[in-house]
Amino acid sequence: MNEPVVEVAGLTKSFGRFQALRGVDLTVARGQVHGFLGPNGAGKSTTIRVLLGLLKADGGTARLLGGDPWRDVVALHRRLAYVPGDVSLWPSMTGGEAIDLLGRLRGGLDETRRKDHLERFELDPTKRGRQYSKGNRQKVAIVAALASDVELLVLDEPTSGLDPLMEHVFQDVIGEAKARGVSVLLSSHILAEVESLADRLSIIRDGRIVQEGTLADLRGQTRTAIRATLDRVPDASVLAAFRDVRLDGPRLSATVESARIGEAVQTLGAYGITGLTVEPPSLESLFLRLYGGEPEQRTAEHPRHARHGGA
Amino acid sequence: MSAVTGAPVLLRAELRHDGRSFAPWILITTALSASSVLVYPWIFPDVSDRLALSTAIGANPALGLIFGPAFDLTTTDGFNAWRSLALGGFLAGLGAIFAVTRATRGQEDSGQAELLASGVLGRSARLLSGVGLALVGSLLLGVVAGVVTGLCGGGWPASMLLGASFTATGWMFSGVAAVAAQLGGDPRTASSIAVGALGVLFVLRGFAYSLQGPDWTVWANPLGWMTETRPANGDDWWPLLLAVALTILLLVVAFVLQARRDFGQGAIAPRPGPARGRMRSPLALAVRINRGPVLTWAIAALALGSVFGYFARSISSVLESNDAVQQILAAGAASQDDLISAFLVTILSLAGIILAIPGVQTMLKVRGEELNDRVEPVIATRVARSRYYGANALVAFLAPTVYVLLAGVVLAALASTADIGVGFGQVLLQAIATVPAVWTVIGVSVAVVGVRPAVGLAAWLGVLAAFVLTLLGPTFKLWDWVLAISPFWHVPDVGADSPDSWGLLWISLVTALLVGVGVAGFRRRDLARQ
Repeated sequence: MNEPVVEVAGLTKSFGRFQALRGVDLTVARGQVHGFLGPNGAGKSTTIRVLLGLLKADGGTARLLGGDPWRDVVALHRRLAYVPGDVSLWPSMTGGEAIDLLGRLRGGLDETRRKDHLERFELDPTKRGRQYSKGNRQKVAIVAALASDVELLVLDEPTSGLDPLMEHVFQDVIGEAKARGVSVLLSSHILAEVESLADRLSIIRDGRIVQEGTLADLRGQTRTAIRATLDRVPDASVLAAFRDVRLDGPRLSATVESARIGEAVQTLGAYGITGLTVEPPSLESLFLRLYGGEPEQRTAEHPRHARHGGA
Repeated sequence: MSAVTGAPVLLRAELRHDGRSFAPWILITTALSASSVLVYPWIFPDVSDRLALSTAIGANPALGLIFGPAFDLTTTDGFNAWRSLALGGFLAGLGAIFAVTRATRGQEDSGQAELLASGVLGRSARLLSGVGLALVGSLLLGVVAGVVTGLCGGGWPASMLLGASFTATGWMFSGVAAVAAQLGGDPRTASSIAVGALGVLFVLRGFAYSLQGPDWTVWANPLGWMTETRPANGDDWWPLLLAVALTILLLVVAFVLQARRDFGQGAIAPRPGPARGRMRSPLALAVRINRGPVLTWAIAALALGSVFGYFARSISSVLESNDAVQQILAAGAASQDDLISAFLVTILSLAGIILAIPGVQTMLKVRGEELNDRVEPVIATRVARSRYYGANALVAFLAPTVYVLLAGVVLAALASTADIGVGFGQVLLQAIATVPAVWTVIGVSVAVVGVRPAVGLAAWLGVLAAFVLTLLGPTFKLWDWVLAISPFWHVPDVGADSPDSWGLLWISLVTALLVGVGVAGFRRRDLARQ
């Protein structure tokens, strides 16, 4: 029972000349919520579609719940539920009918949960597919997936189009699913959503995993931002420990490794500190750095961007 | 800001991006018309050959239903007018309908239109540009067909008039489609209304001419006006004015309706539906998503059966009124029963080809579902791909089977109660014998959508080949092995002394092979990729 629910190694997939996946490694442990982050077009959906057996991988290995996602497709699909990022419903079918259809095709629904989730998501099941807004179509798929009894939830940007209130409900129901022992692969391009739910994170960019670890791991790699107003302007050599240094008269802004904040403040103390702000490390800055390409340079050239990102 | 602000910009964009979709229609009609003038002098070089063809056509009134009256087959242009006018106009009308529907309702449902509507765009600009696309496309179609036919050796006045009749038909049905787009709640309904109108008028025209109905039955039908231009047999241009007037009238109606309805809605508002569903299998889903078309086509099949049935009732008098046929009969080359039996085979084949269309549509709908990301969530459940595809293929085969039988029963009931010497059993058996050929035609689409859905047009190859070879082939003296490509060639004449049913076995094997290829292809390929 302790083998991972998802095990992907060196996965590649091309569409014509376009290489969508260039060697993806991804492991999701049983019972965990695994965040799968990346900018649009990074390869999240392609990876998920390979895991669902919708696309055939060109190279590498993919294991899902101990089986081969392409070969054992039916057996595996009994044990998982999927929410696509762009839910399209049958135009003349009501939301309720769609939920029941998908549930039954999956092997049955938990009636109590179906009812409960419909209420909590404030979804009217008697409307037709073409009458739903994007967010409501998304809710139909979420309810259908969460009301079924499965081991693994595969959620591909499931909250796109949900309002903040519903996003909150979504976080609750995923938490409940986790409490039932369900493993979750949650892809998203929004950090905040994953931050509060995920045990581990993988960040994908350009078809490769660029960062993987627990939230604490990733936090450790981020830098703390320091802004200080000084009496005297320090020498460049003194500031070697700092990165992204920007001096504007007596005002200094820079970043420093989180473990070396004390040292940094001591160094600055020698120049007479009259004002000091220390911003805790945020995942978003890491996220932006990984998404953005060459972050150091960028931060140095466009401090406004950095501040925006570090908020 | 006027109601049409932005229309020129939009029309230019439409022409650039969607104009290509008109190309196949231009190509087919041009090929149809140009091929007549190229091939006719070669296959039917002298007058006696041509008179013989005239006789053959007269002896099989089923052909008249499709092609309309043959005014004069002694000249190449006359032959072209007979062969291309009705069919070319039909194709131009279809092209126009699809262009208008796609540019109006289709976009509205895909959300593309909302994006446009929020731009600097008048309320009517989108409809105007959609109609504009169809009008320009139809004009181009007529000009290209006329000029190419002329260059291929057709007489210029007759060829250009023929092209003009294509354009006029395209224009009228742009208008019909524009009105239909305001009535139907979604693109499918809208195009069904318009295509239905085209189909009904088409059959009525064939009917009016074949049964030599009173003049008003021709003049009450806009498609009758087109036939009455009589290219190469009088060259009357003035009926085209009627077509232009009707087009203007229809467009005015469409714009008035459009100004009154809400965005994204049709004339009929949707009601709340059931909160619980009962579907529990891919088959139930396949039936459900085809429910609307199944009903529509079942009604169409009944209508087709009655039209053909009433036609069959008067077959004796149609044959009697034809001098050439009387000569054949007098010479003892064929008996009246033979001719009637052959007529039934043709007319049921024709019904079979028409009723195979919904089967192909069902398979193409699988592709539509796939591109709309609706297959993905279903396949992500425990439903195997082969089961999903098989369920849809089953609907694609079974529904047309029912249609053919429905049409067959109605036709049999009508034909057997008239005094033409055929029994109910014989006609129904002939209808049943036609079914395997219908399956083969649908089998082509099962294979195409399964293996290479990107070439979706190829799914229609079966229908096209069957139509061209079964209905046009014999009049072109094609070799048997070419004619045998059409599955309908293998349908036995159950009225013959010793009908040969082996052909049905062979085409059924082909069908099985096509289905096998399709299912295997669907299991192996990546889903939802262009």
